[in-house]
Amino acid sequence: MQKAFGKKSIILLFIFPAFLIYTLFVIVSIVWAGYYSFFDWSGVGEKIFIGLQNYIELLSRDDVFRSTIWHTVIYTIINVLIQVFGGLLFAILLSRVKKGRVALQTLYYVPVVISSVAICQIFSKLLSVTPTGVVNQLLSVFNPALKVMEWTSNPNISLYVTAFVEGYKYLGLYMVIFYAALIGVPDELGEAARIDGASLFQEYWHVRIPYIKPVIVANCLLVLNGSLRSFEFSYLLTHGGPGNASELMTTYMYKQAFTSMKYGYGSAVAIMIVIICLIVGVLFKKITGEEAEK
Amino acid sequence: MKKKTIAMLLAAVMSVSAVLTGCGQSSGGAGASGETAEQNAPAAQGDSNDTVLDIGERTKITALLKGTESTEQFQVFDHLLSNFCQENGLEYEIELVNDMQDYFTKLQMYINSNTLPDIYGCPNGTLSRACLDIDAMVDVGAELKRNGYYDKMNGAIIDFLTDADDGNLYLFPQGLYCEYFMYRTDLFEQAGVTDAPTTWAEFEEACQKIAATGEIPVIVGGSDAWQLMRYLSFSPWRVTGDDFITNYQAGTDSFSDNDSAKYAVELLNRLGTEGYFEPGFASVDFTSACNLFFGGTGAIFYTGSGQIGLAEEMYDEGKLGFFPVPDTEGMDNMSTNVPIHAGFAEGFNKATYDATMQAFFDYMCENFSEACYTKAQIFSPFNEDLPEGLPQLYYDTQPMFATAETAWTSWDDKLDSDVLTKIVDEQQKLAQGIVTPNDFISTCDSLISK
Repeated sequence: MQKAFGKKSIILLFIFPAFLIYTLFVIVSIVWAGYYSFFDWSGVGEKIFIGLQNYIELLSRDDVFRSTIWHTVIYTIINVLIQVFGGLLFAILLSRVKKGRVALQTLYYVPVVISSVAICQIFSKLLSVTPTGVVNQLLSVFNPALKVMEWTSNPNISLYVTAFVEGYKYLGLYMVIFYAALIGVPDELGEAARIDGASLFQEYWHVRIPYIKPVIVANCLLVLNGSLRSFEFSYLLTHGGPGNASELMTTYMYKQAFTSMKYGYGSAVAIMIVIICLIVGVLFKKITGEEAEK
Repeated sequence: MKKKTIAMLLAAVMSVSAVLTGCGQSSGGAGASGETAEQNAPAAQGDSNDTVLDIGERTKITALLKGTESTEQFQVFDHLLSNFCQENGLEYEIELVNDMQDYFTKLQMYINSNTLPDIYGCPNGTLSRACLDIDAMVDVGAELKRNGYYDKMNGAIIDFLTDADDGNLYLFPQGLYCEYFMYRTDLFEQAGVTDAPTTWAEFEEACQKIAATGEIPVIVGGSDAWQLMRYLSFSPWRVTGDDFITNYQAGTDSFSDNDSAKYAVELLNRLGTEGYFEPGFASVDFTSACNLFFGGTGAIFYTGSGQIGLAEEMYDEGKLGFFPVPDTEGMDNMSTNVPIHAGFAEGFNKATYDATMQAFFDYMCENFSEACYTKAQIFSPFNEDLPEGLPQLYYDTQPMFATAETAWTSWDDKLDSDVLTKIVDEQQKLAQGIVTPNDFISTCDSLISK
């Protein structure tokens, strides 16, 4: 049996179903989006071939698209900070807890299993201004003016609030992954560091965290990828607004294709998202790969 | 060899299961966004019913509607189809898609593949034109003239649904919806506002007085595009009918050249920035706004006949009053001051419009009013006497539109989708004071000149 699984033909046979499905649902979709991006098409009726016009418009004249790239970058940075570094911090704290660890772990993981729609609904109610939500009610104890603090309808902070909500949802997931990695660090390494006089902080900084660096890099890549393609939190919580204040590349693509009924233009935005994701992914792999080689 | 066979078998099982899982997910996904209500009516042909129709080869009537099982369109059509199909030994299937964008995507898919169901919900505008392009719309106006119901239909409703290009009527109304402002009589009294405002200046004056008492003057569902857009549309509609928005889209008029449009822009900006709307209005949707107002928050709310069920109790207790859209002072306003529209409307697929569908159409016209009042609690688009036993608000508001001939001009239908989307983004900024009226006007005017 072992021998059979080692054969190339058998390996290919097992890879084929996944490859086929991936090709059908991902590659073909991207190719079709690329095809549509050369047309002026409302989704119904005749398609008019316009060549690269959508891309020229997108890259040279569309200020909103440019702002969505910037918003997506900020959104991604916040998510990496919350999900990866927040998750790591929570995992370290969890690994230090002796009593009630399982209960805490479960509690932090609960948002991961709740659907994004429900999470957005919960936060809409928590952050509501009229009627006053729990957050503003609590804040008004310290400062009555904060009772009418706008969270999702304030253009200056709506993007950060949206990013925070996504970060909150997935923090538990990365915490569990980091926790699993941390408990896999051999105790002898920590003991040796302590014998050498390292403090607890130094033990983690110089021994345990470097040991799980591949996990941190992998998680960074996952969060990076997820955040660049993030859609539902911005769409459900703020509709990309007010105005375009929390508009991401994905919500902009959706609005162009389905609300503005510019399928061709929306497809061009989709292709740009694919290209940006690929560039960021390759750059990240290159940077982290080079560091690993060093 | 045996091991190789086992491995190949395992791979085959994996492939099949993966494909089947994919199929299952696809079906489930559709179910998540679109429900299907299918009914098997008992065969009635053997019941020696004299009125049973010769249904030919047809076994089923299909419909695609927007909403859920609790929305008016479903309730009316489910009732009508259920009774009609039961009488004629047919089955019927109603596909429901709740989300507006999902619905439009589904409808586009059906249009592109030319596989529209027998009846489909469709707004008057881009999508109805696309249906016409593939010759998938029955001339509903001609059918109504044939069965004698055309003259019974409310004039404003016909006006609302009439095709802008050829002047024909291709859509059947979902119902008759009229919109008006409701106000809290106790808060008006407390603020010293004795009469309901008849002009926008009086409206703002009332808001100022109400705000001074510490109450919220106006509740608005600012996250739903149409709510703020109403405030942008009121003045141009009262002063120019549909001229402004039609000419704006055609590039022959602009916000900067039209006084009524400029007035509306400044009005929305003032209402939003002077604190007359509830705090955080930009994140309040229409449902939440309804809950707020009918739950006792705010003094004025723009609502309509669709919310009579919510207003009924407070209105009967004398806590609520209503007033139509105020006049724009200093300009000539048309006499119709209550926006009347037909809701989402339905088209009938010309390709499948056989004798059975024609019989259903006649049955539908005959029983539509009864279904509207008993099943969906909405006004019927036909000018008929109201049945007894309805909430008082029905009887009190009906005179406002009984003889109306001019419909509401929905910017959703008149504007190009792209322009509409951009105005929606801008109007929120305008109401929040993020952009000035002048910025708004120049941005909106540039959308067309582009």
